[in-house]
Amino acid sequence: MSGAAGSGGGSVGSVVRRFLAEYSSGTASRLKVLDAYLLYVLLSGALQFGYCLGVGTFPFNSFLSGFISAVGSFILGVCLRIQINPQNKGDFQGISPERAFADFLFASTILHLVVINFVG
Amino acid sequence: MTSVYETKYTLFNGIFLFSGSHTFILALTFVASIQALTPTHYLTRRDVERLKASLDRPFNDIEAAFYSIVGLSKLGVQVSDEQAACNFIKSNVDPSSVDSLFYAAQASQALPGCEVVISNETGELLLAAVSEDSSVNQIFHAVGALSGFGLPLASQEALSALTSRLSKEENVLATIQALQTASYLSQQADLSGIVEEIEDLVARLDDLGGVYLQFEEGLETTALFVAATYSLSDHVGTEPAMKEDQIIQLMNAIFSKKNFETLSEAFSVACAAGSLSQNRYHLPVIVVPDGPAAVSHHQPILRLQVTNVMSQPLTQAAVKLDHAKSASTKASVLHQMPFAVSEDIFELNFMNAKPASGYYDFSISVDGDSRLIANKVELKVKVSTEVGITNVDLSTVDKDQSIAPKTTRVAYPAKAKGSFTADSHQNFALSFQLVDVNSGAELIPHQTFVRLHNPKTGQEVVFVAEPDSKNVYKFELDTAERKTEFDSASGTYTLYLIIGDATLENPILWNVADVVIKFPEEEAPSTVQSKKLFIPKPEIQHLFREPEKRPPTVVSNTFTALILSPLFLLFILWIKIGANISNFSFAPSTIIFHLGHAAMLGLMYVYWTQLNMFQTLKYLAILGSVTFLAGNRMLAQKAVKRTH
Repeated sequence: MSGAAGSGGGSVGSVVRRFLAEYSSGTASRLKVLDAYLLYVLLSGALQFGYCLGVGTFPFNSFLSGFISAVGSFILGVCLRIQINPQNKGDFQGISPERAFADFLFASTILHLVVINFVG
Repeated sequence: MTSVYETKYTLFNGIFLFSGSHTFILALTFVASIQALTPTHYLTRRDVERLKASLDRPFNDIEAAFYSIVGLSKLGVQVSDEQAACNFIKSNVDPSSVDSLFYAAQASQALPGCEVVISNETGELLLAAVSEDSSVNQIFHAVGALSGFGLPLASQEALSALTSRLSKEENVLATIQALQTASYLSQQADLSGIVEEIEDLVARLDDLGGVYLQFEEGLETTALFVAATYSLSDHVGTEPAMKEDQIIQLMNAIFSKKNFETLSEAFSVACAAGSLSQNRYHLPVIVVPDGPAAVSHHQPILRLQVTNVMSQPLTQAAVKLDHAKSASTKASVLHQMPFAVSEDIFELNFMNAKPASGYYDFSISVDGDSRLIANKVELKVKVSTEVGITNVDLSTVDKDQSIAPKTTRVAYPAKAKGSFTADSHQNFALSFQLVDVNSGAELIPHQTFVRLHNPKTGQEVVFVAEPDSKNVYKFELDTAERKTEFDSASGTYTLYLIIGDATLENPILWNVADVVIKFPEEEAPSTVQSKKLFIPKPEIQHLFREPEKRPPTVVSNTFTALILSPLFLLFILWIKIGANISNFSFAPSTIIFHLGHAAMLGLMYVYWTQLNMFQTLKYLAILGSVTFLAGNRMLAQKAVKRTH
């Protein structure tokens, strides 16, 4: 293998570039849309967490509800992505993409109900 | 035969006491019920004057005139202006009203030399009123009016009308009025039926705590009952069927009220007082001490007032001391001594028996008339004396007992010369004896205190001096033991002796000596603050809960704007990826689904601002089911489209 120490920086960069190229060509656009949504949710949660670290946890319930909303939405989005990915079709025999989307909506509704209840 | 009263009394006690041995307890209550009650309420001289004043008022109608005139006559006095009263009656009597005639008749009878002239028609009216058709009240007034005017009356017919009417009107007041009516009827008529009503009425009295007995209708009814009972019993010549305890309880109830709201109430109490002080059968006796019930060498005579319920002295009575026992030792000091009469007061020189100081239980009986009831009285009498302090020895005792104690004798009320020292080597000791100055016997009073007072710091420490087996009081001050009480403050203390008791006439506060107390300097004594217990303490400032620290508004506003930035990033990415809604089919289910979903999100916002969980769940159920059905259909269509 190529010397890890010498070309470490280079290899990381090339790995990343290769990954991005493969990603943009190999992924269906539907999944890319979903990935963009997941990125948004991630950033949203990270920003909230950073704010809490910066200015303190008051009011704690609002922080928790916002953060958990971000985390929950991310998890539900990931579940949806797994279920609608055509490459995983073998694992999810009885679940059509539409069914997965309906589950995603239902779970999101419940999550949002609880979050709104808790945000205060 | 046990009457209702005795059964009730026994039951009351039986239920109340714990179950131990029932027979023993029941026997005890029987004994208790045999012992007579003592009257707790009666009319003092002031009460009688007040009652007379409330009755002797200017009258505005004939009923008020009746109450005033007749009430005062029952108390043994007359109205202030008899002639004016007579004229008032004559001018205000209404010959067409039976009530008015009754009042006029009775009032004029109470006034000497007052004659009200009435016509034949009035007489006819009164006779007609005595029938079964009139109420008991009317019959009573008619009979009373006829009797008061001296008109003839057919007693037997009146009696039958009364009896039949009474069987229809079963209330207490009607029965009492029947009793009063019967006392106006001739003795030849058979009044025994009415007399039996007395017993029935007695059974209807309410026992309140074993002290009072009264009708639930109130004080006035009870007082009228007593007056009516005695007037009927005197008239018929049979003793009323009431027990001694019941009479005393009735007395307590009637005379418990001293101020009267209405004239009729005052009248009823006056009638009751009059009948209880003059009747043929029962005469309650009131025995009260004249002044405090206390004797001493200066005042050796115990004085008693023996009166009837109206505070009229019973000078014919023979008052005797059955026995006087010491309250503490129960030893009998005196027995079977008669009281001497001096004007209206009964006197006994108790100090002749040379009693020791303390409290004594006196059992006094009043005889002389067979009608007397409540004539056995228990009284607590205090015998006071003066105390003298003897054999007062002050000494400093060496702790090692190597040096003999130095003793100084002091005589009351002098102060010991020189001061005494108590420190780590020596204790200070005080011993004394207390004697009764008059008899020489040793005394053990309640309060024997030794008080040490520091004039510089204001500190004061009080100890109790205890007697030993020979009744010699001893007090010892050991500086090592007592340093906490003194806060280890050394200095010169003045020593006081405090002697007091309820039976002592001369309590003593005696500055005996000065004592210099030196405490060991083990702990550095802090500056002595005299224990000020009753000055204001430092104020406590309440700390309100401080609100949480919040970031400045600028920061939070900036962050709010910042949190929207990922959303913009999302839209940009979506556009870059090529997400579009070109495949949007305007099928109804699609539209309904999207609208329903949007409504659900809107509901979330409304929930945050206004609603509570229950309302939200309600709306969510509706919207959710609509959205679900529409969404299901839409997705099914999509699935179909996909597979084809």
